[in-house]
Amino acid sequence: MSGWIRDLAMGARFALTGGREGWLRTALTAVGVGLGVALLLLTATLPNALGARDARGQARWDYSVSGENPPAGERTLLVAQNDTMFRGEEVRGRRVKPEGADAVLIPGVAEYPADGEMLVSPALKELLGSADGKLLRERLDSKIVGTIGSAGLVGPAELVYVAVDDTLRPGDGVRRLDTIGVSEVQSERMDPVLLLIVLVVFIALLMPVAVFIAAAVRFGGERRDRRLAALRLVGADGWMTRRIAAGEALAGAGVGLVHGAVFFAIGRQAAGSVEAFDISVFPHDLSPAPLLVLLVALAVPAAAVAVTLLALRGVVIEPLGVVRTAKPVRRRLWWRLLLPLLGLGLLAPMIGQGRDGGEFNQWLVTGGVVLLLVGITALLPWSVEAVVRRLGGGSVSWQLAVRRLQLSSGTAARLVNGIAVAVAGAIALQMLFAGVESDYEQSTGQDVNRADMQIRVPLSAQADEQISGLAKKLADSPAVASVTPYTGSANVGDGKLQPQNSSQLTVGSCAALRTLADVPGCKPGDVFAVENPEFSDDSIAALSKPGRKLYIDPAYPGSPGLAQPWTLPAKVKKSAAGTDPMGSPPYGLLATPEAFPEGRFPALDGTVFVQLDKSQPDAVELVRNMAAAADPRATGFTLAATERSDKFSSVRTGLFAGATCVLLLIGASLLVSQMEQLRDRKKLLSALVAFGTRRRTLSLSVLWQTAIPVILGLALSLTVGVTLGAVLLKMTAHKVSFDWPSVLAMSGIGAGVVLGVTLLSLPPLLRMMRPEGLRTE
Amino acid sequence: MTAPAGSLLSAQDLRKAYGPTNALDGAHFSIHPGEVVAVMGPSGSGKSTLLHCLAGIVPPDSGVITYNGRELSAMSDGERSALRRSDFGFVFQFGQLVPELSCVENVALPLRLNGAKRKEAERTALTWMERLEVDDLAKKRPGEVSGGQGQRVAVARSLVTSPRVLFADEPTGALDSLNGERVMQLLTDAARSTNAAVVLVTHEARVAAYSDREIVVRDGKSRDMEPVL
Repeated sequence: MSGWIRDLAMGARFALTGGREGWLRTALTAVGVGLGVALLLLTATLPNALGARDARGQARWDYSVSGENPPAGERTLLVAQNDTMFRGEEVRGRRVKPEGADAVLIPGVAEYPADGEMLVSPALKELLGSADGKLLRERLDSKIVGTIGSAGLVGPAELVYVAVDDTLRPGDGVRRLDTIGVSEVQSERMDPVLLLIVLVVFIALLMPVAVFIAAAVRFGGERRDRRLAALRLVGADGWMTRRIAAGEALAGAGVGLVHGAVFFAIGRQAAGSVEAFDISVFPHDLSPAPLLVLLVALAVPAAAVAVTLLALRGVVIEPLGVVRTAKPVRRRLWWRLLLPLLGLGLLAPMIGQGRDGGEFNQWLVTGGVVLLLVGITALLPWSVEAVVRRLGGGSVSWQLAVRRLQLSSGTAARLVNGIAVAVAGAIALQMLFAGVESDYEQSTGQDVNRADMQIRVPLSAQADEQISGLAKKLADSPAVASVTPYTGSANVGDGKLQPQNSSQLTVGSCAALRTLADVPGCKPGDVFAVENPEFSDDSIAALSKPGRKLYIDPAYPGSPGLAQPWTLPAKVKKSAAGTDPMGSPPYGLLATPEAFPEGRFPALDGTVFVQLDKSQPDAVELVRNMAAAADPRATGFTLAATERSDKFSSVRTGLFAGATCVLLLIGASLLVSQMEQLRDRKKLLSALVAFGTRRRTLSLSVLWQTAIPVILGLALSLTVGVTLGAVLLKMTAHKVSFDWPSVLAMSGIGAGVVLGVTLLSLPPLLRMMRPEGLRTE
Repeated sequence: MTAPAGSLLSAQDLRKAYGPTNALDGAHFSIHPGEVVAVMGPSGSGKSTLLHCLAGIVPPDSGVITYNGRELSAMSDGERSALRRSDFGFVFQFGQLVPELSCVENVALPLRLNGAKRKEAERTALTWMERLEVDDLAKKRPGEVSGGQGQRVAVARSLVTSPRVLFADEPTGALDSLNGERVMQLLTDAARSTNAAVVLVTHEARVAAYSDREIVVRDGKSRDMEPVL
């Protein structure tokens, strides 16, 4: 046993000492393993990070679950949701009025400021203080007196404000709360297809990292073999050399783990100041689950030792001479083919299951996808060997590259494996995304040809003045091309409190009503009952009886209303429903203002649609500012023809971000390996230059040497990726179609990484060709 | 100072420093066609630097090198590379054969770099391998042959373009005496048969014995050794 420890310790000493050369080798391994470990740790933090975000989101939940307002008291708080958008970014806004000294506090708020003052999140504070946020500052013009703590934010880049407004009164849109937050929100069951996608995204992103770590622990392999040969000369037997090599790998992996922890700590800190795809995270949220940390800490050194011993299997270390690698054993195809076939076999039972077939078996999906992707790492060395064996002829640069590949195609294949796996996974996912996209992207029914924005001013007794004034201002604004005639709407019922029959009342000029419905012969003072087959209930018939007394904005339990009385005129005409620009058909009653006493709007929600002058920069924000000036509660909503499921979007953007990170990581490993190979051949390169070899010839040979395995790797990843994509589409019961643009894009990115690596390795290559390489003294 | 009359390659007052170390400090050299000159001296004396400067691999800091009436320092890097491909041959201590190429491909490499077709280049290479008695190793890779055999392959490679000057830097340094002597015999015979000049860097008197003349480099300075009568 002590002999084992002695050998392992000797190996560790070789890794950690050995002068500049040894240090450099260990540093390369450590950096490689460290980058992989950092990425693994980051993945291990995701469950905690997402959980912490959810928990803070739940803790600030300020909707009344029962819908009933508690009575006013020392602890109650009036809250109006006042969210807005600024240049595509959501701004969470709350206007509040503490009703007592002990009013419940919103998370992140230590105490409420005075009336007319507000607290903002650090990100919003920065935005409002910058030139970029000038337009938003016009909208949120309360005095900033403090910041909201992280307990009240889901991420550090979130834009949030809490403004105190003593004019708030309980009613429509203003809730009275004595508690904030919910202890338990029923989590939405994740769509099985989305779950499948998330599962495959994780596998497709983590597999290349594993391949990358396996490549990193083999950095400096050739030098190590020579060192082991020297040890054999002084009496080490075969098993001792293996133990020494294992010790060396363990030390490298150990230093790699430390590097990984440091990279992770740096990345964790940096994550606080980065926002990607509208998601930002606090560094303290990125805490990996201890069990996963332990798993990484054990798996990485174990994998390092396993890979090293596996690598040593292919070489014979003899006491004399270096390592004889004359004729490597020809690779066999059958077991390499078995892996992807087994993977397909695992996925096959789930084909055709679709969304309605219930949950996909996570273990079968994981096993199947892993085997298919591992199949690439097994098949690539075989295919590189099989192809380069048949290559010949060509220029000197081509010959140098081909012969090098023929001699050690495994090294080249190993380098490309990571990229091939990442590209295959990404291609499969892109195909799946393209196939299921239509399920998650649906038409909103909104007519963007009629309007770009809808502005709504909540219920107000001055609705007429407010909305007409706003419509006029909007029409005069250079940001607006046209304004539709404004309307007002409210609930209407046949009783003051909890009416038996109720429906919607829409008020507008005849011109405004014509944009919503067919109102034949409309003239001031007319009232119409809308015949809309979609809302064919008895309420309309009951409410639209001529001369009937109705109440606009009736009260309901927990929601006091204005209950403004209104008697229908002697004649109520019939109208056929159209649609408004939002795509919603009107229902209930349509009325002109003249049908009301004094010929003006009762208290209503006001709505106006505008078409923007798109040549004006920030037209949307200018309109929102005008709306906010008319009423701080006003909202400006931009119309869009289609909408995509947020979850679907975030999974897709997550894949792009992850694939980019992984490809860059693998690019870094390729570069490191390339440099190492070049350094090993420094003397040879100098000798070749000495007898007149052109630098171009050697540069081209490096390019061919990388390009041949890359082309083969991409071809293989294309085959596996398309197959996996087709199987995944079949599993979700979708028609198999090839998303060629994404396939080409992913292959292009993979090829681009390799080209970049080749270009980056050229300066050191040219340096190593200098005659100084021939000096021995 | 002018080049000695009839010399093929000559150098006057060569100086070359690597950082604070003066590798060459006013060295002189000349060689005639068909002549074998041994450059001797202890380790670190500047012999290899002198060879590298003479071959146009490393430019000297000062001094003049003339080859066949042309000044080497006036040539561009490209011109010097072309000269090395066409007129010079090289043998190094460890052969420096390209490990992934077969022996015949290694020998044919300088011809191919000069634009020769592969088959033609390999045919010529094979005749030189025969002369160096290594034609049976043609299809083997350098890793599969012994040190002495590899060095003979390297000599064949250095002579395949029929160079006018052959630079040999410790060509037997990694070989046992028997192999070393065989390599030297073949190298000098082959060079003399083609009238090639040989610049032979060595610190072994036994190897230097194959030369026509010896010069000694010490502390970057060179001097001719008196012939032993």
